[in-house]
Amino acid sequence: MAKTILAVDDSGSLRQMLAFSLKAAGYGVIEAVDGEDGLEKARKQTVDLVLTDQNMPGMDGLSLIKALRGMKNYQSVPILMLTTESGDDMKAMGKAAGANGWMVKPFDPARLTEVIRKLIG
Amino acid sequence: MNAQVVRLLSGVSVHGDQHLAEVERDLVQMDGLLDEAIKKLCASFMAIHHVVDQQQDALNGLLAGGMPATECSARFEMLRGEINQHVGAAVTGLQFQDMTSQLIGRMVQHLAGLRDVFDALGTNAPTLPESSNESLLHALNHISERVGACCNELAGSVRSTVNQRHMESGDIELF
Repeated sequence: MAKTILAVDDSGSLRQMLAFSLKAAGYGVIEAVDGEDGLEKARKQTVDLVLTDQNMPGMDGLSLIKALRGMKNYQSVPILMLTTESGDDMKAMGKAAGANGWMVKPFDPARLTEVIRKLIG
Repeated sequence: MNAQVVRLLSGVSVHGDQHLAEVERDLVQMDGLLDEAIKKLCASFMAIHHVVDQQQDALNGLLAGGMPATECSARFEMLRGEINQHVGAAVTGLQFQDMTSQLIGRMVQHLAGLRDVFDALGTNAPTLPESSNESLLHALNHISERVGACCNELAGSVRSTVNQRHMESGDIELF
């Protein structure tokens, strides 16, 4: 059964690119439009990996990661940040919140899927 | 008194300049990103078109019986790999919309801030009294403080979140 990835980003075009790239690599994709939507969808179905943007209206990426790590079934699910932010301070905050990795936009589909395969197969 | 007026006007000028400088910076960055994105997308489009042409040639060769099936199959696989590569490059280029959208959002906030600066001087400013220098000074100080407060408030909330100058794929770091 295909592994499922939750892709959280307030940009519709970015979600479209992510879904296209991940589905082409054989993954199922659930899209969420912001942190709160992502959290709600994560509660409804435990996914195999979470990809989240940082700067979103309402709940941002760091807050989403903290909320997910507070859920029993998301203690060990890999969570990757995919964001335009590249500062070391932000990366440190991401790591402290429980992110497993930090990817700076724009993403390359081949590199993205390579990283994801390393994490969830 | 004149010094106070000059100070007020300088404050407005400095704060206004700061907002405009940020808007200018973001516009230049956006221009660069859009230019690169379009160039990459054009290159991807042309490359995909070229490979599709080659696919058609290979298909014609297969239909004409001029190439063994196994050789054709290998060729088609190779061409598919090339198409995937070019599509991947296009996907990277297409992400310009997300970045430019963030830059535009930031510019809109700075322009709103600029409007607040002028607003502090405009209809919401206290009526400047005509009679006493002290009252006038007090009113000018109040305006100056409001202008400063507007800008401090905005400065704290409008961070630069898009540092990319080129449409190259970003770093990946696993913790």
